[in-house]
Amino acid sequence: MSPRGRVVKRVVPRIVIAESQFDAPARIGASARRHLNRRGRVELYFAFDDPCSAVALLDLDERLRDRRVDLATFPVIARGIAGDPAIDRKRDYALVDARRLFARRGIALARSASVTPESTAFLAHWVAAAAPGPASRRFCVEAMQTLWLTDDDPVDRGRYAELWRDAVETAPDDASGQDAVARNEKRMRRRGGYETPAAWVHGQLYFAHDRLEQIGERLDDLGWTVAR
Amino acid sequence: MTVERIDFFFSYRSPYSYLAAPRAFALADRFTVDVVYRGVLPMAMRGQAVPRAKRLHTVRDVAREAKRLGMPFGRMYDPIGDGAWRCLLVGEYALDVGRERQFVLESSRGIWSEAIDVADDRGLRTVCGRAGLGWPECSAALGDSTLRARVEANTTALVDLGHWGVPVLRLGDELFWGQDRIEDVERSLLAAGLGRA
Repeated sequence: MSPRGRVVKRVVPRIVIAESQFDAPARIGASARRHLNRRGRVELYFAFDDPCSAVALLDLDERLRDRRVDLATFPVIARGIAGDPAIDRKRDYALVDARRLFARRGIALARSASVTPESTAFLAHWVAAAAPGPASRRFCVEAMQTLWLTDDDPVDRGRYAELWRDAVETAPDDASGQDAVARNEKRMRRRGGYETPAAWVHGQLYFAHDRLEQIGERLDDLGWTVAR
Repeated sequence: MTVERIDFFFSYRSPYSYLAAPRAFALADRFTVDVVYRGVLPMAMRGQAVPRAKRLHTVRDVAREAKRLGMPFGRMYDPIGDGAWRCLLVGEYALDVGRERQFVLESSRGIWSEAIDVADDRGLRTVCGRAGLGWPECSAALGDSTLRARVEANTTALVDLGHWGVPVLRLGDELFWGQDRIEDVERSLLAAGLGRA
């Protein structure tokens, strides 16, 4: 084994692990935040066309309700590995996987086939262009419920426009959505994410649908426990 | 008694396969199933790109999950290339002599938590010995073209099933991808009434 091979196969991965376990800055930041009586924050990077994102969003919406933690929603459209030859198979499998994950919570998935990113792009544009906050989050939850747990029809823009008006009480903004989504995608990559759903929890990135319990544990560990 | 078959698609280069292996093999202890080891080539040796962001996130995520599962992890030696091939070939030999479970568990622990270089004879011999396998037979397996063909057939079978990564467990027509989906396999086995009394 050449010295270079040894470094690549043995030393670099160990440095990555050691670096990822250096949690002090995030802990100090979280502690300062709590002492200033500020709320914790979970950033969720998700895609409307991804059923596993629906699993993560709906679960986190409930899971964080009794904690002093905000769920910041960052919709993206571009995700996954560029040029991935398995993209269609992954899309189909995501539906199978989400069906099982929802079933763990006693929820049935209504949709029988995957949807294209193009058909739901307008949802990402609306949310990304809007002011973040409870109204936008409420729309995301209701749209995901409609998209994956109620409907099995083609995506109907009019139906979601009604949901938007009810939740946000303004007209959706199409014009600036594309740039806003691109900013979200860039932000996700900066956090180390490449696929949805990804959750950034004070210095740690998680595959959100796979690590819901762990996200809760991370928040407990940082002191944002469930209110009694 | 009906004994169902579970195909366990495993890669020595996949840290998630390492995390899955003890629980995947243990399904046979708790349910009336045969867990059939199917060693496959790593994605990166099948011409599939693994971007840097994915590699970094995987290592960090596995470190957290290993801690949660109480498994040692971190002192690793990436077996990509010869190391992966040599383990796959010995894995097929181990399957023939009924010691695949021991070999998979010992070799993956060596790779992912003890930085054992399985591309080197000394490293491979160590994990073979721990698995109760004789070195002369394992050494012979490294040059056995029949075993090589079996590994290639397993890899093709995974692709034909419509899957790309590992670990994958196949139960009947159902496929379960990921070390964190073993609980769904268990749920299916319980629903099928296959729990051992």
